[in-house]
Amino acid sequence: MAREWKDLAEFEAFLDDGGIVEVDDDMPDEYRNAVFTFIEMHANSEYMGGLTERDWIPKTPGLRHKMSVLAKTQDEIGHGHLLYMVAADMGVKTRTEMLEDLMAGKSRFHNVFHYKAETWGDQVAIAFLVDAAALASQQAVFKNCSYGPYRRILKRIISEEGFHMRLGEDRMMRIAQGTDTQKEIFQGALDRWFWPALQLFGPDSKPNDVLLKWHIKSERNEVLRDKWVQKFVPMLQSYGFTVPAPDLTYDEETKKWDVGPIDWEPLKKTLAQGGPDSARRIGEARSNWERTAWARQALEASTS
Amino acid sequence: MATYEVFLKKDGKDEFRHAGALDAANDELALVMARESYIRRAEGNKVWIVNRENLIVGDDDFVGPNADKPHRHHDGSAVAARRKAIRESDS
Repeated sequence: MAREWKDLAEFEAFLDDGGIVEVDDDMPDEYRNAVFTFIEMHANSEYMGGLTERDWIPKTPGLRHKMSVLAKTQDEIGHGHLLYMVAADMGVKTRTEMLEDLMAGKSRFHNVFHYKAETWGDQVAIAFLVDAAALASQQAVFKNCSYGPYRRILKRIISEEGFHMRLGEDRMMRIAQGTDTQKEIFQGALDRWFWPALQLFGPDSKPNDVLLKWHIKSERNEVLRDKWVQKFVPMLQSYGFTVPAPDLTYDEETKKWDVGPIDWEPLKKTLAQGGPDSARRIGEARSNWERTAWARQALEASTS
Repeated sequence: MATYEVFLKKDGKDEFRHAGALDAANDELALVMARESYIRRAEGNKVWIVNRENLIVGDDDFVGPNADKPHRHHDGSAVAARRKAIRESDS
């Protein structure tokens, strides 16, 4: 029999006490919907990220890199699959409904997958900067997540994202040791991807953010973003690249980097599916979904 | 389509553990999906999958009473206190 709580206050006291919610618990609708939407967005982002990665399989330089891109594509699609499973079990939407909403532009995915990856340098920047930002957000959820099934599946996702990040830094190290042209290509990619990666954390958390209150997120957006800045600004500089922040300053006293004011307009546009590459990406995903309908139909027909 | 629960066992001394779930058209494809989604980097060397419809699940109320049987445990505190008293009188 499912556990139940007499009201939201009693449920919140349970969460504050470190309680872990399971799928068959009679959780309040507000919590169910908020957690579901969060997991759905994560699932969509893994899926859209996997499709981006896939685009680069034929264009990846060298067999070794190509094999790792294949593996990463499979990892990302796999993460989407695991997360859609956890989300579908919450009983808000089925997996098919979630995918159809994604293809119809009705549900969200991370801002970074609304931009175009122009060169191999962009793929390196994505694997390094974006995966690191995504990993940091996921770790902050994993740390203290009150929804048990999500927390358990995050454990394996995080371990695989760790591979991706190390792969990203390895690629960046190689490009940083390459020819002047290679360095220029990466600097161009960095100029395009630094801000979207930083914006992945979102604007400062609102005081009444239910995801913090209900112990889904364990850290405020601005804290995670600042940690990322403190780590990646000096690291990019140590590889000889320029951080594309004109107002970048370093405070000798606090030993901290400050990237200056952040323009949140680009993020808002991506959330409304109006990013520079949103239409093409959603269209690609949709045509891919339609082209593979026969496989799903064949599987349905063969169901034993 | 059916939903399957996936269990993995890593090596001889560990027990099978629940890893997650997946949707698949049949048992054979479910095994392939389990390998490709859950056992990508030697997370286990044994796998069980169970069609969710075949799981027999005990209610919390059925399992619950066993958490309230202190006579099944013993904390050994009285014996420990005696040993401590002897150690202290010896020193």
